[in-house]
This record gives sequence, C-alpha cells and structure tokens, in this order.
Amino acid sequence: MKEKILVVDDEEGLRLLYKEELEDEGLNVHVAASGEEAIAKLEKDKFDLIVLDIKMPGMDGIEVLRRVKEKWKNIPVILSTAYHHYKQEFGTWASDAYVVKSSDLKELKTTIKDILNMGRK
Amino acid sequence: MGYDILSKVIELTDSTDALEKRLKDVANLLAHAFAFDQCAVYLSDQDKHVLTLAVAVGSKRGCQEEYKENEGLPGLAIKKGSPIFATQSKPPNETWQGILDKGTNGFKTVVCYPIKDDWLHGVLYLKNKEKKAVTLKEKKLLSVIVLQLATAIKNYQCIINLRDINTKMKDMQDRLVNAEKLLALGEMAASLAHEIKNPLVSIGGFAKRLSQQMNLDSPHMSYVDRIVKEVSRLEKLMDGIVHFSKDESYVFLSEDINIIIEEAVAFFEDDFKRNGIAVVKELSLHVPKIDVDRQHLKLVFNNLMTNAIQAMEKGGTLTIQTYQEGSWIVTEIHDTGGGIDPNIISNIFNPFYTTKETGTGLGLAITHSIITNHKGIIEVNNNIGVGVTFVIKLPLSDKEGRILKAS
Repeated sequence: MKEKILVVDDEEGLRLLYKEELEDEGLNVHVAASGEEAIAKLEKDKFDLIVLDIKMPGMDGIEVLRRVKEKWKNIPVILSTAYHHYKQEFGTWASDAYVVKSSDLKELKTTIKDILNMGRK
Repeated sequence: MGYDILSKVIELTDSTDALEKRLKDVANLLAHAFAFDQCAVYLSDQDKHVLTLAVAVGSKRGCQEEYKENEGLPGLAIKKGSPIFATQSKPPNETWQGILDKGTNGFKTVVCYPIKDDWLHGVLYLKNKEKKAVTLKEKKLLSVIVLQLATAIKNYQCIINLRDINTKMKDMQDRLVNAEKLLALGEMAASLAHEIKNPLVSIGGFAKRLSQQMNLDSPHMSYVDRIVKEVSRLEKLMDGIVHFSKDESYVFLSEDINIIIEEAVAFFEDDFKRNGIAVVKELSLHVPKIDVDRQHLKLVFNNLMTNAIQAMEKGGTLTIQTYQEGSWIVTEIHDTGGGIDPNIISNIFNPFYTTKETGTGLGLAITHSIITNHKGIIEVNNNIGVGVTFVIKLPLSDKEGRILKAS
C-alpha cells in the first residue's frame, strides 16, 4: 500500500512540484494550501507523514506543528522552509526533520524515505 | 646679544619648515651665537625611554646617536630637571661628576639643557673643545630659548598627532558608512531572498522534471539544462546572501562527525561516479561526539566536496580522514585535483572571490565562517600539481557541553 503524505505549502508552484515529484517516488501525495486546510484534512484522513512549510499567512507551520504534536503525535513532520533561520525557534525542535527548500529535491526525498523506513521497523 | 638672538630663535622655530630643519637652523644659530664647537638636539621617545639624535652641527666628534633616559649627562640633566654646566681641564676624560658619558671625550666644556615643559621633549647638548665660562645672562637666555624649543617640538607633535587622529577618524567614518550600507543592503537582500527562493525552487524543480522527460537528443535539452544550472546558481547565491546578512544562530547538539560526513558523501554519490572519483574514507571509530550544528556542518562538507568534485573533473581520489588530536577532532579532506594557483590562495576564503564561471564566491567564505562559529580552525594545505587538503579542527567539549579550551 502506498504511504500517504500531506504536503502543506502556500506556494501553488511548490505544491504542484512536490506532488508530482513525490508521486514519482511512489507516494500517495495530498496537498494543503494553508495551515487551516491542513488541520481540516488531518481531521478527516489518516497520513503517514507531513511535509510542512513554516512561513504561511494565517496559521503558520509552527502552529500546525504544535497542534499535530498534540493531537496526532505519531505522525512524523518534516519542516521545510526557504532558509535556515527557523531552526533556532524552540517550536521547530519538535519536528522530526528539517529540510531547506531547494530545486534539488534529493534531500527532501531521502529524508522522507528515511523517516518512513524507520516507522516500518 | 640677547633679544636679537631670542627673536631670531622664535622666527626660526615658528617657521613652517619641517621640525628637523627648524631645529638645525636653531642649532646653527646657537653654536655661533654662544661660540660652541658642537650643538646637538636630542628628541625624547617616551615609549622607548630613549633620546635620539635629531640634529647636530659643528664638530661631529663624540656625538652619540642615542642616549637612554638615564644615561650620561643628558640622563643626569633629565633626572635633575635642570641644566648642567661642566668644565674640566684634562681631556680626554669621560667621567663627569661621577657620570660616564663617552660623548664628552675631547671636550673641556659641556652644557646640557633638558627641553621640557609639562613633560620631557628632549635635550639640548652644547660642547666646546676649550674651557669656557657661560655667563649668567647667557644661562638665562638659553633657558628661554630651550622653552621656545619645547613649545615648537610640542606643537609639531600635536600637529602630527592631530593628523594621525584625523586620518584614523576619516578611516573609521568610511568604514562605518560602508558597514551601514552593507547592513541595509543585507537586510533588503535577506527579505528579498525569502520572496525569491520559493519561485526559484519551482522554476528549477520543474525544469528538472522537463529535462528528465525529454529525449536526450532533443534540441531543447541544452536550453533546459541551462535553466537548471542557472537556477541552482541563483539558489546558492541567495543562500549565501542570507547567510551573511542574518546573524544566524546555531543549535549545538552532540553529534558523531563521521555520520555527518557519511551523509555528505552519500549525497554526492552520483557526482563521484560521473567524474570517476574514488572515495577513500579513513574515519576513526574512536572520535568522541562533539557539539556541532549539524545543518551548518553539513553545508561545510557539501561546499568542500563540491569544490573537490569540480577540481577533479577528469577523475581522481577524494580521501577523507577523521581523527582526534589532543583536544581537537580533526577532519582532513584531500583531493587530487592539481592544487590551487598560489597567486589566489590568499583570497580563497574572501566573500565573492571566485575563479569559477558559475561560482558565487561564497562557498569557502561561508565554510570559514561556520568553522569559526564552532570555535574551530580551517586550514588549507596546497600541494601544487597534486591537490589540496582542507584541514578542519573542531574543539572537543567536556561533559557539561562546554567547549574545552584548545591547547
């Protein structure tokens, strides 16, 4: 069975890119354009992993991360952002991994695989 | 005699000539007017506590280049704070009033005035081969002249100091303005960089997908490749600018450096294969964990490996070693890419310095700043014609996580 992941990013181009690239890796990819939409999808559906953008209008990634860790604490979260800065924020430590956005998705893909493999063991 | 000499001295000392020229003119005047065979002026160097000969006129005999502040008759005059007048009948005799002064050899009359006001500026030293008396009137006149000399020297030194301070202030101001400009530029760049990064990732990501779905012989392949390359260059530039413009904080956690290296090597596996580069890992199993910022350190190894790969386009061997050396954990990254041109080696850690057409010039500058932020050291050993070794030394930390002071 394909593993189901949720990609949360307010950039439409990135949602499309992540969806296509990660589907090529054999994953079942759902997307959400905002923190609010992500929470709504999490309420309805069960996911194996979340790729979460930090800087979003409205509910930002840190807030989403906080709620996920309260309510669905077994779902691993990979934080994804343009630059390193958010790492210093205490909230981000709760995430399972931290990936800096790049047009080379190799690091994101490897991180996703590693975390999913760890979950299977 | 008297006022005319004094007014002449004032005229000479107030001239706009260089200090040395003015002192020489005065010394000449004094030697003639007071009939001395030698007239010398020594200037005091307060840092070194020595008197250095500035000018000497007349006989050059026994004219010492330098006196310590407590040496000879000048030393005595300084110590007493008042002039010394001495005569003797039997030269050569270098001992006067129990003080040895080789400069007096061959003279029967010596006069030594400390040049001072609030502090010491130097010494006026007059000598005569024959015995001669210095009248009270002459002594008074000389005292006034020496005061005038003190003022002249002080003024001159004040002007020099002012000039010096002025230059330094201008320099400081320039640097401040520059720093402000850079800061403003950095802030703007950083906020812009955030907005630019997302679309860049989109452009580059889709260009990559296009290139994967294209026929290898498609005439458009090279266009797409160009887009991919340029985007990746822009991304690196943006990362670099953000790194320099923001005071990025570091999160230090206890990490196994070998694992970070293994990850970096794995990341470049395809590139090593493509360029025909053999990777030799000599990682010591005994290196203890150290407190590092994993993301930043990964960037360091990524930068160094990218450089090594670019240096070994036609194949080679990349050797990576880790070991402990005292209170340092050392990583050596050695390539066989022919080494760095010695003319540019002093520049390699400078930001925006690059020899590569597609380089940003930030890779090694960032590497250097990251290692410095770890209180570590990065060195480069350049073996021209053979290759380059980058040596990274990171400090061990103690049990409480404090970084041990490296010996």
